Amino acid sequence: MHSIKYNIYICTTKLVCINRYLTKKTMKVTVNINLGGYAFNVDEDAYDRLRQYLKSLEKEFSGESSAAEIMSDIEGRIAELFKSRLTGYKQVITMKDVEEIMVILGAPEVISGSGTSEEPPPRSQRRIYRDPDGRIIGGVCAGLGAYFNWDPLIWRVIFVALVLAGGFGIALYLILWIIVPEAKTTAQKLEMRGNPVTVENIKDSVKQEFETVKKKMNL
Amino acid sequence: MNTDNTKAQMRKGILEYCILAVLSRNSCYAVDIINELKKAEVIVVEGTLYPLLTRQKNAGLLSYRWEESPQGPPRKYYELTEVGKIYLNELDKSWEALVESVNQIRDKK
Repeated sequence: MHSIKYNIYICTTKLVCINRYLTKKTMKVTVNINLGGYAFNVDEDAYDRLRQYLKSLEKEFSGESSAAEIMSDIEGRIAELFKSRLTGYKQVITMKDVEEIMVILGAPEVISGSGTSEEPPPRSQRRIYRDPDGRIIGGVCAGLGAYFNWDPLIWRVIFVALVLAGGFGIALYLILWIIVPEAKTTAQKLEMRGNPVTVENIKDSVKQEFETVKKKMNL
Repeated sequence: MNTDNTKAQMRKGILEYCILAVLSRNSCYAVDIINELKKAEVIVVEGTLYPLLTRQKNAGLLSYRWEESPQGPPRKYYELTEVGKIYLNELDKSWEALVESVNQIRDKK
C-alpha cells in the first residue's frame, strides 16, 4: 500500500494531541491518511480495517503486471466514496464507512474472479511430536524418526549408545519425553510426517489406522 | 454443483464483452460502467471492474483521459480505441453465433 501514509500524533506533555475528538462516550484516536491525493481523518479501528482490506487486495493482484495501477484506481474510488460520506458535521471516517465501501467494492477473492473462494494451499509444515503408535517407551525415537524420515531404529541405537557412554542419554530422553508433545490427533500425526493437513489426507490416514487395527485383531 | 457457481462463471465469461459494449456508445468513467452493469445484473461488486479495465487498456483495446471530478480525485474516462472497435465487432459476431448454437441445442426436439 504505497500511497497511504499515516502519522499518529502522540500526546506528550508539550504537544497538544490534535488528532483526538470527542464522541458521546469516549475519545477516539484518529489516523491521518492520504488516499488518492486527499487527506482523511480515520478512526483508528476503521484505519486498521481499511489497511487490512487494501493489503488483501494488493495480495490478490500481486500476480498482475500493473497491480500498482489497479490499486491506485481502487484507492481513488475509495477516496471518492469517503468524500461523499463527509459533511460539515461529520469529519471523520468511521468503521461503518469502511464497512460500507468494502461491500460496494467487494471482497478480494470476488474481485479477482476466483469467485468461489478457493481454499488456500494447506500448510505442510513438519512439526516434531512423539509418535504413540510406534513407541517402545515414550515414542520419542519413533517421533524423531518420523520427523527426520529416518528409521526410528537409528535413533534408538544413538540413544542406547549415549546411555552406555555415560548415562547422558537417559536425561536427554527424559527431557525430550517431557517437552515434545504427543501426536494425539490425526492432524498432528500428519504434521509429524510432514504431510499437509487436508481433509483427503485425514481421511486416508484414518482409513489406514482402521486397517492396522483390523489386522491386529485378525478380523 | 451449485447453480450460483455456474451463473457466476457465465457472467464472468461475458463481462469483458459487456464492458466493451457499454463503451461503444460513449466514453465513461468506471462508475458509469459499473452502474450500467449492475443494473443489468452482470456484476455484483465494483472492484471486479478495475482489474479488467486495466487489462483491456494494456491490451490496447481502451484508452483513457483524465477529467476533473466535482467530488474527489480526477476520474479516468475510458473509450474504445480503433483496435477495441474491431475487437468488439468480432465479439459481437461470436456472441450471436453462440446464442444461436445454444438455442439450436435447447430447442431440438
